[in-house]
Amino acid sequence: MASDKTNCTVNRSPRFSFLSEDQKQTIFHGMLKVLQDTGANVHHEQAREIFKKHGCKVDGIRVYIPPNLVRQALQSVPLMTTIFDWEGNPRIYIEENRSYFGPGPTLVYFRDPDTMERRKCLRKDATTVARVCDALPNIGFVEGLVTISDVPRGTDDVYEFADMIQNTTTPIMAWSYQRGGARDIHRIGCIMAGGEEAFRKKPNYILYSEPISPLVSDFHAIDKLMYCAEQGIPQDYSPCAIGGGTVPATHAGQLVVALSESMVGVVLSQLINPGTCIILGGVQSILDMRRGIYSYGAPELNVLSGGLTEMARYCGLPMFGTAGCTDTKVMEIQSGIEATLQIHTSMLTGANFVHDCGYTESGKTGDIFQTVMDDEIISMARIIEDGIEVNEETLSVDVINRVGSGGHYLYEDHTMKWFRKHWRPTLMDRQSYEDWVKNGSQTMQDRIIKKTRDILENHEGPISRVPKDVQKDVQKVVDEAVERVEREGLD
Amino acid sequence: MSEKLGKIADGLLHGKIDEVGELTQELINDGMDPEEILQKGLFAGMDVVGKKFRDCEMFIPEVLRSAKAMHAAMEKLRPVLSEESSSKAGTVIMVTVQGDLHDIGKNLAGMMMEGSGFNVIDMGIDRKTEDIVEMVKKEKPQILGLSALLTTTMPKMGEVINALKEAGIRDQVKVIVGGAPVTDDFAQEIGADAYAPNASIGTEKALELVKG
Repeated sequence: MASDKTNCTVNRSPRFSFLSEDQKQTIFHGMLKVLQDTGANVHHEQAREIFKKHGCKVDGIRVYIPPNLVRQALQSVPLMTTIFDWEGNPRIYIEENRSYFGPGPTLVYFRDPDTMERRKCLRKDATTVARVCDALPNIGFVEGLVTISDVPRGTDDVYEFADMIQNTTTPIMAWSYQRGGARDIHRIGCIMAGGEEAFRKKPNYILYSEPISPLVSDFHAIDKLMYCAEQGIPQDYSPCAIGGGTVPATHAGQLVVALSESMVGVVLSQLINPGTCIILGGVQSILDMRRGIYSYGAPELNVLSGGLTEMARYCGLPMFGTAGCTDTKVMEIQSGIEATLQIHTSMLTGANFVHDCGYTESGKTGDIFQTVMDDEIISMARIIEDGIEVNEETLSVDVINRVGSGGHYLYEDHTMKWFRKHWRPTLMDRQSYEDWVKNGSQTMQDRIIKKTRDILENHEGPISRVPKDVQKDVQKVVDEAVERVEREGLD
Repeated sequence: MSEKLGKIADGLLHGKIDEVGELTQELINDGMDPEEILQKGLFAGMDVVGKKFRDCEMFIPEVLRSAKAMHAAMEKLRPVLSEESSSKAGTVIMVTVQGDLHDIGKNLAGMMMEGSGFNVIDMGIDRKTEDIVEMVKKEKPQILGLSALLTTTMPKMGEVINALKEAGIRDQVKVIVGGAPVTDDFAQEIGADAYAPNASIGTEKALELVKG
């Protein structure tokens, strides 16, 4: 039934912002000034030549980008891109106001899900992360959380991707050391999609590279960016900016530098292949001036990520945000507090990809238990984001009239229909004291561990659906990656 | 004159770089024993800085400014100090290995070591193994601090240690390694003398290593 309301504003979700339009414009202009007057170091001759050819001043390795070139690039970035699973189903719509959450990349240690010990990352851990994420309904993309240590050094990027993509249909945000690894990962992505043409129609992963703050693009980061642009692979070019360390201690200053660093990649990608998908963002937090660590639990992370999300939207670009992480060493109250604030703020500001669910110890240890906890927090935050639906039916005047004063709503058809929209916990405890004791007096930690181990025991993932010849072809790429690194080394 | 010593200590605490340098020069001109300026002015001030940092009353940027003030004073003092005293702790070479452009951790550690009395030579980023070995030969530091942020450049730290062995100078210098992906296991594997998980521990390890 059409509504008879006219000229009426409806909030589909809560409205929240850090920055006004004027403040966003001021920050945007700050970025244009930095790119024009300060410039950025680009350690890649071919990239510098492309910038020069399009009117940038180049002085040694320093590239100065004029505002018109930035504007031109922002006009050619795509309005929307869809990422598919390798079976061909659409999974991620990269467009405004859609948020997907996932783990982060390349940590040094991993918490062993059986022994709970913090140890070096092993090959099997990437598969663990993929399988657990495959079973978590609120995880929208996957990263490995690990730097695998038990395969030949420099081939772990390819091993990780090969293992993960076969163990989940949730799209992967991949990473590689260099162009060689990016090429191998792309071959695997194409094999899984059913060929290069199939991948072009239905891309099934995104490649992540990282400029270095302040204002440096090293050779391999730019080289991978160029490769992705050439191949039309959706990609992410976002720094880890350290407030007070590698960028100004003021939030506005940090946003200016972080935006500028990503924009170097955005401009270059659009010069190489106008219309290719590129995402900006990254980890935005502060240097803890007492401990000297890059904080993954600081409240400033929320302000900065939210602010940068609004700036990304102002530029018409998708945002790679950060949430679900912590500075703690083991699962405890602090990890829950930090992750909750981050996830809730990210949800309100609407970053497209929100990574680092499962990052603990300030970005040193990957913890799949944290990811499992984050999954529950995300589902709660989504309920808040769903806001309040106001229409004839939800207003319920008829049923209110029928029940009248006193009585209850438990028998009502209206209740039968709508109570199912209430959020239902999978980890949060709402038992009576007596039931809680009877069921083993489990704490949140106990329940997280149990749920994680249940998934690992019972959720096989899609590995058995990967055809044998495809598995063989993927293995061939991995073997060739080992040969490549043996032959060429890593410089 | 002793009033000026107090001012030096206080200036260090408040990161007054020019003032500490000037006061040091004045005391030298006044004819005070350089050793006394060092002990009762500079070290006294830096001891308080260290204590306040441990007690969370001072923070890294403040400590670094104090270190810079210390450095300004040492510039004046070094020419008139005995060889032994001119570098209380010794010389440190800090460098990010070849292929790596990351340097925030190395810079932090270098500045903190300077504040602890080391003479710090910063070789910058992306430096070839042979250049590092040459610099060690030339400067004869007590400590070599190697940094890497990338898993791919970490092996370069092992390469530097091997090159020091080949040059026959491995036993003349203690090697400390650091950087986000570096672990204690890795440090042992490549034969480093110490692993620094952060700048303050790096500084502590450096002090321990020079004490022997």
